[in-house]
Amino acid sequence: MAQASDLYDERLQRIKTAVALAKPDRVPCVPLGDSFAAKLVGEKLSVFCTGRPEAAYKTMIRAFTSLGEIDGIQHAGFDANMLSTIWLSKVRMPGVDLPEDNLWQVEEQELMKPEDYDVIIKDGWQKFTDDFWLNKLDNLGARVQPFFASMPAAMQAWKDLGIVPFSPVIVTIPYEYFCGARSMREFIKDLYRRPDKVQEAMDVVMPVLVEQARQLARGLNLHGLWVGGWRSASEFLSRPLWERFVFPYYKQIVEALVDEGAIPVLHWDSNWTRDLEYLLQFPKAKCVFSPDGATDIFKAKEVLGDHMCIMGDVPAEMLALATPEKVTEYCKRLISEIGPSGFILAQGCDIPPNAKPENVRAMIASVHQ
Amino acid sequence: MGANLSEMLADLQENQVIEAVKERLAKGEPAIGIIDELQHGMELVGTRYQAQEYYLSELIMSADIFKSATGLLGDAFKASGEKIGKIVLGTVFEDIHDIGKDIVSIILSCNGIDVIDLGVNVPIERFVEAVRQHKPDFVGLSCLLTTAYDNMKATVEALDAAGLHEGRKILIGGGPVDETTRAYVKADAFCKNAQEAADMAKKMLGVN
Repeated sequence: MAQASDLYDERLQRIKTAVALAKPDRVPCVPLGDSFAAKLVGEKLSVFCTGRPEAAYKTMIRAFTSLGEIDGIQHAGFDANMLSTIWLSKVRMPGVDLPEDNLWQVEEQELMKPEDYDVIIKDGWQKFTDDFWLNKLDNLGARVQPFFASMPAAMQAWKDLGIVPFSPVIVTIPYEYFCGARSMREFIKDLYRRPDKVQEAMDVVMPVLVEQARQLARGLNLHGLWVGGWRSASEFLSRPLWERFVFPYYKQIVEALVDEGAIPVLHWDSNWTRDLEYLLQFPKAKCVFSPDGATDIFKAKEVLGDHMCIMGDVPAEMLALATPEKVTEYCKRLISEIGPSGFILAQGCDIPPNAKPENVRAMIASVHQ
Repeated sequence: MGANLSEMLADLQENQVIEAVKERLAKGEPAIGIIDELQHGMELVGTRYQAQEYYLSELIMSADIFKSATGLLGDAFKASGEKIGKIVLGTVFEDIHDIGKDIVSIILSCNGIDVIDLGVNVPIERFVEAVRQHKPDFVGLSCLLTTAYDNMKATVEALDAAGLHEGRKILIGGGPVDETTRAYVKADAFCKNAQEAADMAKKMLGVN
């Protein structure tokens, strides 16, 4: 029987081959499922989602080692407070604000005011977020610290099983932070009413985010990082706004990560089909485009297939409602049409808590058939 | 002059729209004419959205300018406007996402449909009461979470049980909603996006 370290090397090589746009011995499968893992092992979401990060990653390991052979896992652990750090929004928690077994949800609320752009420009991003975490997000730092502290052990625990913790850290661009903190409606109005001020603040924030991303990649010796995008999706913004406030910032962070030798995993929710051509400006064979089912993945293959590995995108609705046969059929289509070179099989975004276990098993099994 | 106000709104010229409305009110122009032009401006926004010249960003901005401008007109706005149909709309219970629902609300309003927006996390009984009270042509149910499917289904069942489904169509939409979802929750149709919701509603109403 193969040693875990041999398996780990073999699986990492398989993933890296796909990222390099070559053809691995088979398509790798690198899923993600946090709330799904809790449900699968019979744990209440209120118990799983916060305050006990060590137990949470062990729950994820228990779940994913029971579903078939996977090559990697996108996130090594979970704490719902982590969502507040990248959205700068409050999160409604099961067992606190919601019934015990409901899914956590980010709350749309205007916590940052228009005058805060000036504060950011004057005092810098670090000082602003320190204050924001403490006063607007109910001392987020104290709540999220145990999760950050658990990261190295969580990554090692997966590695010890021969499973690659592929992209356990999330970084993103100023747009996403501002949009979350201002609320989407108010922020979009800012883009019309005070565009220069928004851009000036973004340009103050960006070097800090790039440096943080570099240090995370270096400090944790990461293979990949999620470069997240949700509210900055093409479907929400006209192209002039997207070209000014979104794309140049992604380009900076992607180039910095590639420079660090890390793989930027463009975990981009919602529909980005309109702007896929722009991704050709990112370094070739160094990134992963990971749409959630809303972007046309077949169009992505057409545009980016010779330039960037694609990961995805079994949709949440299919995992929740379809039959295993349907899931297998879709996965086989992905493997043959998006792969077999330059492709990693995964769910779109995150496996939902009400996914049928047999559907997740079918997804994982499809790379072995 | 008239076309200018519509164009100004459609071009998102906020200050010019507000100034023009104030100026025309000061000259004693009847509010009803101004309202017509502002509504025409929103129709132009809808057309540009359909042509993919405009996106959510422009819908949000134009709706805000429209709201500020009509706010200057007082009660005249509330009494105005012929509607081609009516929808009771909301995000289902235990789901607090509102962006998709709000896009649908704006686009349907641009297309002359009276929108009774119940907001997010709407309890099943509230949908039932609102349908009983407003007697809409459509009920629109939105969700972003797959875990909200069961509440969507229960809402449809409650409307069925109250005899309120008959004579109206239940439309569903949202990120994870597709034909499989429609069959599961037993709605009448699913809409891929806001424009499809408007097109479908108009088709069902027999309006071009």
